[in-house]
Amino acid sequence: MTHDANALVADLFRREWGHLVAALTRLLGPSHVALAEDVVHDALERAMESWSLAPPRDPKAWILQTARWRAIDHIRRARREQPRGDAIPEPSSEALESALAERENGASQLAMMFSICDERLNPETHVTLILRLLCGFSPSEIARAFLVETDTIDRRLHRGRARLRELGQLTNVLDPEVMRARQPSVMQALYLQFNEGFHGSDPDVPMHPAICTDAIHLATLLLESEATSHPEVHAIVALFCFHAARLPSRLDGDGVYVALGDQDRSRWDRLLIERGLTHLGASASGDELTRWHLEAGIAAEHALAPDLASTSWPRILALYDQLYALTNNPIVACNRALVVAEVHGLEEGRRALVAIEDHKLVSYHFYWSALGDLAERAGHATEAKAHYERAARLTRNEAERLAYQRKLQRLV
Amino acid sequence: MPKYVFVFRGAAVETSGMSPEEMQAHVRKWYAWADTLAARGFEPKGQPLDRRGRTIRGTDRVVTDGPYAETKDLVIGNMSLVAASLDEAVELAHGCPVLELGGSVEVRPTTDYDV
Repeated sequence: MTHDANALVADLFRREWGHLVAALTRLLGPSHVALAEDVVHDALERAMESWSLAPPRDPKAWILQTARWRAIDHIRRARREQPRGDAIPEPSSEALESALAERENGASQLAMMFSICDERLNPETHVTLILRLLCGFSPSEIARAFLVETDTIDRRLHRGRARLRELGQLTNVLDPEVMRARQPSVMQALYLQFNEGFHGSDPDVPMHPAICTDAIHLATLLLESEATSHPEVHAIVALFCFHAARLPSRLDGDGVYVALGDQDRSRWDRLLIERGLTHLGASASGDELTRWHLEAGIAAEHALAPDLASTSWPRILALYDQLYALTNNPIVACNRALVVAEVHGLEEGRRALVAIEDHKLVSYHFYWSALGDLAERAGHATEAKAHYERAARLTRNEAERLAYQRKLQRLV
Repeated sequence: MPKYVFVFRGAAVETSGMSPEEMQAHVRKWYAWADTLAARGFEPKGQPLDRRGRTIRGTDRVVTDGPYAETKDLVIGNMSLVAASLDEAVELAHGCPVLELGGSVEVRPTTDYDV
């Protein structure tokens, strides 16, 4: 028995998790989100067990079928254990079947993202709940996306679930004003979802194009409804398109990360860049300049430059200045410093990096990589080596680690 | 070459903290392991078992629901393969991913000797 590499579609488990938890929570009510998670975890656990020895012919149908009978089992047991308290509805098998079958529909996933962004919870908790419940991310993956400890994420999830229990039935948010207020959390979640696909924390698989595609799909759905179709949504879709266009050139034949300057630009997806430009144009219609506009602007400059040397660094620096003023984000400051180096010289760039005061950066590999890069180009090999070694210890996946190893070999 | 059977035990041991992504990665490890065995000529043939079932016991033929084992003892499937010796088969079983989750592999020679 040999296994076709395609026997298991990449990210199948994670995507099924998101769809099924959303569908079950919608059916049972948010007070039973833990039950929904148990059912889906159970179904995926059975899949893992059974598929290990032989892949199923139709994995999606297998999971759907198993989730359905696991749900019936779990709901019965929960009703027995809790005869009076928090009444659990016993869905008919038809209701269960149709609720789970809707799982392919991104629209219901998106509607639920808005539903769980309750006003009593803070935006970080909204985003954490969305990533955990609807995107299937583990607490440690979410922790890495936020640059915080896993404990912090566990606490947020605890708070969020407690509030969902209080809410009882989850209703679709239809009031345009409420949707407007909740939209930033939803967009932030889509951004982190895209990011995880773009340079994920999975040690073996550095990129997950399917997750990027999901994020683009959900963001595009926001554009289809009048209540959510705002200029900044065009901006975030543009940003996703420009980044996704570069996916084919980000790894070399040995599975090592290729830096932007060394990427084969002829392999960038022209159609996605075109699509990005269309959305970027549409994003310019409002009077609000959001971080998504600025990030899309930066990504567009990179996507349109024929090579690294002809990149318009002063324009990019101006965008970064605005972006940093708006977000005060240490990672933005880190990227900005590298652009400072291009415009004002290596020493200025180094000073800008050192000036960033944020303890989170100490454990962020890219910060040390940036310091190493500037030191290497300034001819300080020993210093560069120390920085790259530190970066290599903090990487999230093998492709990044190999890229640092290559830089270190170059310095010897 | 003599034939051996691996019996895998330990359904769902220590999966509570696993993310969907990690579960899928675990399945990939099994495929990589079985592919390596196949490439090296051990002819592995795996057979997964569903957790449901019935047990028929004793002269009274009492039928009970389910395998009734502790989770860690529950058989999740088996695999037959050929190997030069019991020692070699045991060596091959060392690479089985079920061990990473706290499960076990029982290695049993079959008795269809070529005498």
